[in-house]
Amino acid sequence: MDSISYYLQTVLNGILAGCIYALFAMGLTLIYGVLNFVNFAHGELIMWGAYFLFLFMAEPFGLPLYVAVFPALALTGCLGLAMDYSVFRPIRRANRLTLLIAAMGLSVFLRNAAQFFWGAEVRTYGFEVMAGTQFFGLYLTTQQFAIIGVTILCVIAVYLLFFRSRLGKSMRALSDNLDLARISGIDTKRAIRAAWVISAVLAAIGGILLALDTNLHPEMGIANLIKAFAATLIGGVGNLWGALLGGLLIGLAENIGVLFISPGYKDGIAFVIMVLILLARPYVIIGERSD
Amino acid sequence: MDLLLHLLIVIAIYAIFALSLNVEVGYTGLFNFGHVAFFAIGAYTSALLTLAGVPFVWSLPAALFMAGLCGFLLSIPALKLQGDYFGIATLGFGEILRMIVNNEVWLTKGPMGLPGIPRPELFSIVFDTLPRYLILSSGFALLTFAILGFVVLSPFGRALKAVRDDETAAEILGKNAYRFKIKSFAIGSVFAGLAGVLWAHYTTFIGPGDFTLTETILVLLIVVMGGKGTFLGPVVGAVVLIVFQESVRFLRLPPEWTRLLGPLQQMIFGLLLVVLMVFRPEGIIREKGGRR
Amino acid sequence: MIEIRNVTKAFGGTRAVSDCSISLDGLTISGLIGPNGSGKTTLFNLITGLLKPDSGEIRFLGNRIDGRLPHEMAALGLIRTFQLSRVFPRMTVLDNMLLAPQDQTGESFLSLWTRLPRIRKEESENRERAVELLDLLGLTQLYDQFAENLSYGQQKLLELGRALMAKPKMILLDEPTAGINPTLIRTMIEMILAMRDRGQTFFIIEHNMDVVIEVCEKVFVLDHGEKIAEGRPEEIQKNPRVIEAYLGL
Repeated sequence: MDSISYYLQTVLNGILAGCIYALFAMGLTLIYGVLNFVNFAHGELIMWGAYFLFLFMAEPFGLPLYVAVFPALALTGCLGLAMDYSVFRPIRRANRLTLLIAAMGLSVFLRNAAQFFWGAEVRTYGFEVMAGTQFFGLYLTTQQFAIIGVTILCVIAVYLLFFRSRLGKSMRALSDNLDLARISGIDTKRAIRAAWVISAVLAAIGGILLALDTNLHPEMGIANLIKAFAATLIGGVGNLWGALLGGLLIGLAENIGVLFISPGYKDGIAFVIMVLILLARPYVIIGERSD
Repeated sequence: MDLLLHLLIVIAIYAIFALSLNVEVGYTGLFNFGHVAFFAIGAYTSALLTLAGVPFVWSLPAALFMAGLCGFLLSIPALKLQGDYFGIATLGFGEILRMIVNNEVWLTKGPMGLPGIPRPELFSIVFDTLPRYLILSSGFALLTFAILGFVVLSPFGRALKAVRDDETAAEILGKNAYRFKIKSFAIGSVFAGLAGVLWAHYTTFIGPGDFTLTETILVLLIVVMGGKGTFLGPVVGAVVLIVFQESVRFLRLPPEWTRLLGPLQQMIFGLLLVVLMVFRPEGIIREKGGRR
Repeated sequence: MIEIRNVTKAFGGTRAVSDCSISLDGLTISGLIGPNGSGKTTLFNLITGLLKPDSGEIRFLGNRIDGRLPHEMAALGLIRTFQLSRVFPRMTVLDNMLLAPQDQTGESFLSLWTRLPRIRKEESENRERAVELLDLLGLTQLYDQFAENLSYGQQKLLELGRALMAKPKMILLDEPTAGINPTLIRTMIEMILAMRDRGQTFFIIEHNMDVVIEVCEKVFVLDHGEKIAEGRPEEIQKNPRVIEAYLGL
């Protein structure tokens, strides 16, 4: 009986981690789908989201968690818009390498800016570590309940936004074909802005949840970025549900994987899974070969 | 004066590192974001061998061979992935290699690193002073420059550029793009390994923390800023960036400042990259192609 | 030279090429015409290995080539150009030309170190030939410009020159005169005819009927993926099925 609940707990931990990865991946895949580039600075949206919350909960604001969340998310959304406006919009038409490197530069800038202001030490929000409630033989802290709950809320919100609203329709059109959407009279600027805000907010929520469950440090974004990439690529570019599943898959694989291999390699599991899945897919060797 | 020699040595080593990445990124169009892994493989191979008593004259080729072999082996599956996927896959490989170095303590002493790496000895000269090491590293840098320059100007290099510009069109003309990319990757890996060897024997202490994403970004910045796909580009980039990075050592600042200086410097790097991509993506040195 | 037998290729539910059989045996310049969307470029893609037929076979000089990889085609002596010219934009005109010859010793990494004199010799011979061809094409003064700096018409001429450099047994030209001005069209035609006189064979997709009549020995007509007619240009011009196909759309 004990052994089963141990494995179940592992699965639960996998789901928890997976929820957070899913939030990261959904934001990433959104921008990837709409603007067709890899936002290497997405990790910094995650990290700054968490730090913004920290900012509003600390002096001089001293707001409680539930209040501080709002300005934190709002500011992160603004950060996302600022990133697009100042860096990505001017080079919208540039080639992939240029965009990727610009994003890398932005990532370095933002990461070190956080370190500049808050230092490199690990911080926490200051909540006590709670014992967690027990149910069905599994332990779940309040924070962890929150992770699952918030993720479900986000997924529902994303679904409503994307598949039940005009804005969502515009974003999907852009995802399909940016130029075509432009000339069809869709307000592409608005849709792009919306995509950035949503991407940033999802990142921030993920970052906050991660920081609540673990801690805050300037590298927390980039440390998870590769996993977010992996989830995105597993799920298919621009595919929100794919990103959700990819995130969960990676979370599960990581937690179950460490039962078998050394914990030092935990972070590598996501990558290995991604490569295996990518290689197994029918791949395109030469441009037009496989239609 | 010592600082100047130090600067020049680091520039020489990074020039080799950048020239090697340039073959892949600039000439073949491969987004290799895990290049630091081969730098690390070269460094660790030579370090471990010389620490075990193997003379430098053997550890060097062994390290180059290991780096090239690993590059070759990685490229076989990795190059089956397109563009972005390839980039992420190489990024992941770099990270995994770092994890291996960190975890396999029996081999690499893990996070504690390898101290006391012996100075190189070639033809009974021990390169244990700054001027001598400068001669060693700049000698290798010139050699790298010459060899890679020769390769890139050759019909082989021309085929690489064709694969870069339009893979399908290159295939139509009979170039097996996959094979060329593998060769390019292997060559780049060998010279990255060379840079790693020189680094290890210069600093005499290496650890997994020396081979992170930050190093990859640095060398990428050097190549892109200097001008990818050119000869001088990576060299110019190395000069500019290394001078900038190391120059902070010249400034004698109160301790509270130094804590901020690191991130500030990196912020400038990041900003530099962004500004570069927005205003002059070709870099300082442009490819020669005439303007109308 | 090329034998296409009962080749079919479908995408989703639509047949882009349907049970098509064409023989180019003994022909110098053959034409492939048909309304837009009739499958001409798809057929070219099938011949050159960019696509694999669902059924049927394609033979070149008696050997089966369907399903082979694109880079093998050049070695067999088959080169193609593209509808939207695909010169290498960030390489010079001369480099574009020098890329084309097959079996260059200099393209083997190992040979760079072991057979340098031979590589030098090949380079110099190729260079001479390239210059000669560039001269015929009127592109000599642009030899050191990046190909992306050339006008569209010049790029198409370059693409032809590049194909010729490979000394292929047959060249597939995909709409060589589309989108270029009349003077350059003249140069293109003259080049094609001059090369034909030197023994070069061509298979050309063309929309411009004047060009087809002037240049092609025999013409094949596709409509909706099917071959609906073949014959001399003058004959098929009067063919009612052909006329219907062009007008019907």
